[in-house]
Amino acid sequence: MVIATTKGLSRAHEVYADRGLRVRELRKAGKKVIGYICLYPPIEIITALDMVPFRVFGDMSEPITAADQVSTTVVCPFLRSIIDLGIKGKFNFLDGIVGAHTCDIGMTLLISWRDYVKDAPFTHLIDVPHTDHAPAVDYFEGQINSFKRHLEEFAGEKLTADKLKKACELHNKQRKLVRELYDLRKSDPPMLTSMENTEVLVALFSLPVDEGNELLEDVIREIKGRSIKPARKKARLLVWGPVFDNTSLYELIESADANVVIDDTCVGTRAFWADVKAPYDLHALAQRYLVDLKCPRTYRDTQHQETVRNYDKDLDSRFNYIKKAITDWHVNGAILQSVKYCDTHGYEVPNLRHYLDTLGIPSIYIEHDYSERSLAPIKTRVEAFVETLG
Amino acid sequence: MEYEASKLFFAGIDIGSTMSKVVVVDAGGKMLGYVVGQTGAEHRRRANKVMEDVLLKAGVPLDQVAYIISTGYGRVNVPFADRQVTELTCHAKGVASLFPDVRTAIDIGGQDAKVLKIKGGRLTDFLTNDKCAAGTGRFLEVAAETLGLGLNEMGQISLQSDTPVKINSLCTIFAQQEIISRLSEGQPLTDILAGVYIAVTTRVVKLARQLKVEPPVVFTGGVAKNAGMVKAMQTVLGTPVLVPEEPLITGALGAAILARDEAFKLVKDGRYTMEKKQLSEAYIEFTEKGR
Repeated sequence: MVIATTKGLSRAHEVYADRGLRVRELRKAGKKVIGYICLYPPIEIITALDMVPFRVFGDMSEPITAADQVSTTVVCPFLRSIIDLGIKGKFNFLDGIVGAHTCDIGMTLLISWRDYVKDAPFTHLIDVPHTDHAPAVDYFEGQINSFKRHLEEFAGEKLTADKLKKACELHNKQRKLVRELYDLRKSDPPMLTSMENTEVLVALFSLPVDEGNELLEDVIREIKGRSIKPARKKARLLVWGPVFDNTSLYELIESADANVVIDDTCVGTRAFWADVKAPYDLHALAQRYLVDLKCPRTYRDTQHQETVRNYDKDLDSRFNYIKKAITDWHVNGAILQSVKYCDTHGYEVPNLRHYLDTLGIPSIYIEHDYSERSLAPIKTRVEAFVETLG
Repeated sequence: MEYEASKLFFAGIDIGSTMSKVVVVDAGGKMLGYVVGQTGAEHRRRANKVMEDVLLKAGVPLDQVAYIISTGYGRVNVPFADRQVTELTCHAKGVASLFPDVRTAIDIGGQDAKVLKIKGGRLTDFLTNDKCAAGTGRFLEVAAETLGLGLNEMGQISLQSDTPVKINSLCTIFAQQEIISRLSEGQPLTDILAGVYIAVTTRVVKLARQLKVEPPVVFTGGVAKNAGMVKAMQTVLGTPVLVPEEPLITGALGAAILARDEAFKLVKDGRYTMEKKQLSEAYIEFTEKGR
């Protein structure tokens, strides 16, 4: 076992900069590493079977050159970047990969992986229904069950209720610690930058859950104890949107007169806001992932089988968790970001902007193609947006 | 050297993708002079050159310029600027200084287009085109090159048409091919040119409609100098548009006025630390006179 020499934020930075760092070591020591795409595969099952869940991201600084044989450029560049890295052998430390039908391209990514990457001996696809009604939750529970059985086979051991409960508790602990970390940005100025926050979270997605929890405890202690704090700035912003696993956007925003204090993104709060509830069985997992996890890929109507839609009520039922974040983190502006061609998030933008208008929160919408270099033209718009605030 | 308080000046410099613009104003915000030049590849040298020119033109020595704001996409390359502000804020300020009631401003530059919503002289919302030459001055340049015409000439000729041809391509290069095929079909040049202006305008108006176009509408940027473009804009919007006398310099003008405001604010807050006594005097004189 290799002992990490760095701690806290510097350890987070180290793992952020080389995401495979720890899992490569663990693999040498005989552990199995299971990659997963998006937030829908229940990682508690992977942990419970004594394997390491590893969230797969793309690489915004690596030009997409090998993925053209898989898809054309009208496909989500984030998912194209993942398959591109896969073809280039950059995920060769994975023993398996689990995909989920979060969106259509998210699902086809796993199929392409089987065709073009072929590195991992284990692959599994979880179907995820697109509504949160009770029958959908039951169906999803069945999908989780077949994933469980498939992974048991691969692990050569049975998942016991006790092991699953322990894994749920460990992951819930991580979620609680992350929420504590976010609490440190409620003050003005916040106690850490959004770049630091991103590095910590990306590191968590690259470490076994117990090591991640230890890292979080160190980070929180370090931040509470340090004297250097981010500067107070005019804007306290919320960033919304799909995956952003890189600090570059946050650097760009915070180079203007703004601090990003809270987010609703799938590298941030979405991954950590909801816990798995007792009795920690497969139904509890289905409930946590399909109902409690808030991502626009799941459609929620205010009332099952409604025939007339009440627009205001609908907006409120879809977005009131954002309203709470705006109040608790004293937000005065929102940046809605999306990777190009993300129809899941694209559908949400006009309604969300309207909802934010009703709350008196100014917002802008920016699109990027998941590459660091494409961000430069966004800079002027972000700066101008900050200039328009109060 | 003795300074007269009223002889203090403020400058705004706008380094755009194609043109560089400088404006000098006095403490009352009155424009004393402006200079417009090609930006070219060397932003820094260009910034120095246009600054020297404008000071010469306005008869203002550099050390009497109390505060300078740079804007435009080359704003970071103005070494002598005190502060940088985005062109969106500056344009809104400049347009509102000329047309205080303005609600919507449409600016089309060499490589970008922007739509600004303004209320009470303040920028409230905006949209810009993304990374594409469709709906910008570059589109018109490509059309002019294809047809072998000058930009002004092209505008004048287009005015003779009441039946513009349709140009459907969103992409500048495809539109160029469309122009050629309309020519080979034998369509009159006047109608093709009118069609070109309608095409550019339509792309920008599409952007503007996302923010709701409210009158009065002001049209600025180098492209607003073109008669064909102004006609097309009024046609597509279905409302009259106001065009400043010099539509290229609203960004620089806004920057100059913001420079004045910023310097006065610093004086008021007691944060203006440079040994510019005369700035305080200018401020006092300015506030006593009232706006």
